[in-house]
Amino acid sequence: MALYIAKRVGYALITLWILSLIVFFAGQVLPGDPARSILGQLAPQSAINALDHQLGVDRPLLTQYWDWITGFVHGDMGNSYQFRAPVEPYISAALQHSLKLAAVAFVIVVPISILGGVVAALNVGRAPDRIITVLGLSASTVPEFVSGIVVIIVFGIWLDVLPISASWSPGASIPDQVYHLILPSIPLVLILFGYIARMARAGTVEALDSDYARTAVLKGLPRGVVIRRHVLRNSLVPTVTVIATQTGYLIGGLVIVETLFNYQGIGLLIYKAAQEKDFPMLEAGVLSIGIVYMVATLIADFVYSMLNPRIRFGASE
Amino acid sequence: MSAANPPVEAAGALDAGVGQVRRELLHQLLHSKTFVIGAVIVIFWALCALLGSALAPHDPLGQNLLATNQRPSGAHWFGTDQLGRDVFSRVIAGARSILIVAPLATLIGTVLGTALGLAMGYLSGWTDTVASRIVEAVLALPVVIIAFLFVVALGPSPRTLTIVIGFVFTPLIARTVRSAVLSERELDYIAAARLRGERSPYIMFAEILPNVLQPILVEFTVRVGYAIFAVATLSFLGFGIQPPTADWGADISVNYAEITAGFWWETLFPALAIASLVVAVNLIADSISGVLEG
Amino acid sequence: MDENQRRLDTIRGRRDEIENHVIDEFVAGRLSRGDFLRRGAVVGLSLPMMAAIVAACGGANSSSSASSGGAPGKPGGTIKAGIITPSGAIDPVTVLDQGGLDMLAQTGEYLCLANSKSQLVPVLAESWSANPAANVWTFKIRQGVKFHNGQPLTADDVVYTYKLQSDPKGKSNALSAFNGIIVPSGVEKVDDFTVAFHLTAPDANFPYVCSSENYNMIILPNNYDSSKWEGSFIGTGPFKLKSYTAKVGASFVRNEAYWGKKALPDATEFTFYDAQQPQILALEAGTIDVVGQFSVQGGQALLNNPKVTVISVRSSAHRELSMRNDQAPFTDPRVRQAVALTLARPDIVQGLFQGKAELGNDSPFAPVFASTDSSVPQRAQDLTKAKQLLQAAGHGSGFSTHLFTETTQEMPAFAQIVKSSAAKIGVDIALTIESPDQYYSKDWLSGIMSMVDYGHRSVPNLFLQAPLQSKGTWNAAHFKNSQYDTLSAQYIAALDLQSQRTVAGKIQNLLLEQTPVIYAYFYNYLAASASNVSGVEPTGIGHLFLFNASKA
Repeated sequence: MALYIAKRVGYALITLWILSLIVFFAGQVLPGDPARSILGQLAPQSAINALDHQLGVDRPLLTQYWDWITGFVHGDMGNSYQFRAPVEPYISAALQHSLKLAAVAFVIVVPISILGGVVAALNVGRAPDRIITVLGLSASTVPEFVSGIVVIIVFGIWLDVLPISASWSPGASIPDQVYHLILPSIPLVLILFGYIARMARAGTVEALDSDYARTAVLKGLPRGVVIRRHVLRNSLVPTVTVIATQTGYLIGGLVIVETLFNYQGIGLLIYKAAQEKDFPMLEAGVLSIGIVYMVATLIADFVYSMLNPRIRFGASE
Repeated sequence: MSAANPPVEAAGALDAGVGQVRRELLHQLLHSKTFVIGAVIVIFWALCALLGSALAPHDPLGQNLLATNQRPSGAHWFGTDQLGRDVFSRVIAGARSILIVAPLATLIGTVLGTALGLAMGYLSGWTDTVASRIVEAVLALPVVIIAFLFVVALGPSPRTLTIVIGFVFTPLIARTVRSAVLSERELDYIAAARLRGERSPYIMFAEILPNVLQPILVEFTVRVGYAIFAVATLSFLGFGIQPPTADWGADISVNYAEITAGFWWETLFPALAIASLVVAVNLIADSISGVLEG
Repeated sequence: MDENQRRLDTIRGRRDEIENHVIDEFVAGRLSRGDFLRRGAVVGLSLPMMAAIVAACGGANSSSSASSGGAPGKPGGTIKAGIITPSGAIDPVTVLDQGGLDMLAQTGEYLCLANSKSQLVPVLAESWSANPAANVWTFKIRQGVKFHNGQPLTADDVVYTYKLQSDPKGKSNALSAFNGIIVPSGVEKVDDFTVAFHLTAPDANFPYVCSSENYNMIILPNNYDSSKWEGSFIGTGPFKLKSYTAKVGASFVRNEAYWGKKALPDATEFTFYDAQQPQILALEAGTIDVVGQFSVQGGQALLNNPKVTVISVRSSAHRELSMRNDQAPFTDPRVRQAVALTLARPDIVQGLFQGKAELGNDSPFAPVFASTDSSVPQRAQDLTKAKQLLQAAGHGSGFSTHLFTETTQEMPAFAQIVKSSAAKIGVDIALTIESPDQYYSKDWLSGIMSMVDYGHRSVPNLFLQAPLQSKGTWNAAHFKNSQYDTLSAQYIAALDLQSQRTVAGKIQNLLLEQTPVIYAYFYNYLAASASNVSGVEPTGIGHLFLFNASKA
């Protein structure tokens, strides 16, 4: 077990290192130079060169990479070109925002969609199954830029029951923050519902078909007990996987939702950083998302292994 | 996570006579209601994509600056947009780019992903370890950032979208194929091929590939649905086909801001078009996997 | 009338030559009252003085001064505004975007303010005047002004600020405005409350360079490190910083020690937004009271909403659609004219701006400029003539070309209109619409057709130089015309409005004939507030002043 964990963590670190290489060198394709982006189109070339030198972007790429990555390992994420301040507070604030939104979305969507998936599985082929499947499919196909606008207009303006901006005043309590996150989480809930419900349904169908479920029924256990004890547990297995794989999307891919609800998440932060050629911000942001993604994947792996009786540690990776 | 992939059937299906199996599958599919509904919708949009402006009642590009943002009416079933263009005609013509890019991108991703997955699964060892790490690293990159970098390097166009989505899908599909190959490579026919002294490429592509085609096909159909969603989203961000060409995602992006002014038709109809196409593709994918996996 | 003449003469007797010239032009009827007020303020005539002159000349209503706004609102309350997120650190030297300049002007103040009518209003300078050659300008600094830390304002602060921002070796964003006009050694402290600017070339419009128009030029305390400004927001203005959070927002409280009329609101709160849409929704939902700026594209909800007051400011903001004068087929002016003749400008103003814009006549002389010669005929759509011109130029069957532009506001829509208009004479234009960053770094100056955005200026000088002069650094049209260079230099050196207008007319006609660049419209600057909020004052360049704002 310890060996398995060590190996997985080691792999994750290697992956992060590769990610750092990719983002650093891919970032170099962005046109123009950072100083031009900071000082504007009108600034004289001499000022641009001076600032480029000050920022250190006129040094060889490998030197820049080495300085950056060694700093990162020692906890120094570098200084933002755009804000001329350490990027760390920006990244951590944005990451916290994104994690909060993801958490709210999961808290809403996971129970609903697992319930939906199990209900569908218990009624395979019948009306409830069809309805849940089609609803889920349709919900997950509405682009978040459309569902986002619709919920803003309906709940924020017509009904005026929920705040349309996800940015709460400083020092707001946790319940107040959650209250602000309900509307922005709805588009995410819609997209994730179909996906998770589908996995939960598939897991449940498989579990219902399995030998142990059949045995349990043969032993004369009531259907409800069988479902609670065996089936539900197994339907959770693929769901955990989905949650892990969707974490990347929820943390880094919400540019549109974050714009719409004026929410300073990390997706928007790095997208803007890429547009403004703020390399340190972009690199640190992508790497932070990578770390969250890796951690989520590792946790999912362990949970998966524990939930699923048929998987053993150390199996061929 | 690899264990979440669908189980792979044992080898030898090919021997049963490919033609007969295909006819059998087709027969089953045609008797599946979900497949038929999905297919009808996809064929409808394919016709729109092919015939485009021939089907449309108005020129999808024809502007009328003095009749902008008109409500749906007899003359304009879906109303007009901010440049006074007929929304109905634009929805019809807008099918083209998405129906070319999404399947093509998925195909590229599938071909590359299959090759990579075969290599990773069969060669294993260092190749697999290194490739797996790279795959993981790419998967950890937000799609929007990947797309942005490609757009900067190649310029916004349907070609760029195809490359981006193909690139993003490659590691995803490689992972599926790899785990399918892992269970194949321990089987006797592989050992036999090795004993015969076959070279690795031959074993991978001639021996293993035919036996893992099923999960690949399932993966492909499922991925087409995601590709459509991805094309719409990236077009929305302005990474795809350039105006004035009609495009669902791009049309939503220029018009959605006016929903607050009450001009809902300019956004709703392209959105419904996207939704109908993804649902249809998912219905087909569902039926195919149902038939294949029994 | 005799009485009036005597009063006028008394006033004239105490004025210098440039000022008297403006007065003479007004008396002779060559300047409208609005132009006189605008022009007079530039050369240093005070508002009461001009009001007296207007009255002396039989002006019916001497109270029509430069100050805007209706009945004064009641003090108190908190005004909440939404503005675009500042793109970087709030440093007076480097700020170059609207969000940033909005922040500077909440607590900082300029020597003078170019208000929403393009008139100059004294702020930290009490008055200013020029020598007859207009190359030495003397500013009297207001006394009794204190920075937020209690330090009194003196000429040293002004001299420090101007030397810092005009240093050619520095990184000031204001350098583009100071370039060729003033260098640090030209900034001179005369006494504790007088500063003289010795210009490197005469400039009749120099006070605009010292105004809010040159938005970096808020006055900093002597020796203040501008890169630390974000931590203090130190200034002399009617508001003081309460808190600032990068990318999120800022809040301000009334400066009770302010030298002038105290701000009405107790406090203001700014929230930063990355896009227009959430601001509009927030205003409709009542989360904010004011939207700092919006465009008609995506903003139609505000135009038709009875619960919203739209504040519309005439401006010279525009788009320049350049054609490469050095590349076929645009080497032939007839081809350029033909493309310009395909545009149905009134329809464009209606379709894109719901009428909240003015027609452009293919020169940077916007209708809002006092110097614009309005007798030059307006170019209108004429497809027959356009086809004839193409035929004569040897392109009767049309040609294909490429237009590059940015994703900013209505520009993609306008580019599509250009494409569809040009198609009517057989010109096939492919479009590339890219993010502003990409556009500026790749295609702006090299594209065969290229469309770029220009913000508002109260005088056309900037528009006449870099984008059009042979050696201009932003000359995307690669327009090289010695006659134009001479005329534009003449215009900038012209000291009085009448001679400016004469040269303007010549430039307008020359540009119509050459059409290196298409100027199709000048659009209004739009801000919005909830209808129960009054006294919100935007400027055409992007400031948002809330000191007179109040909520009913």
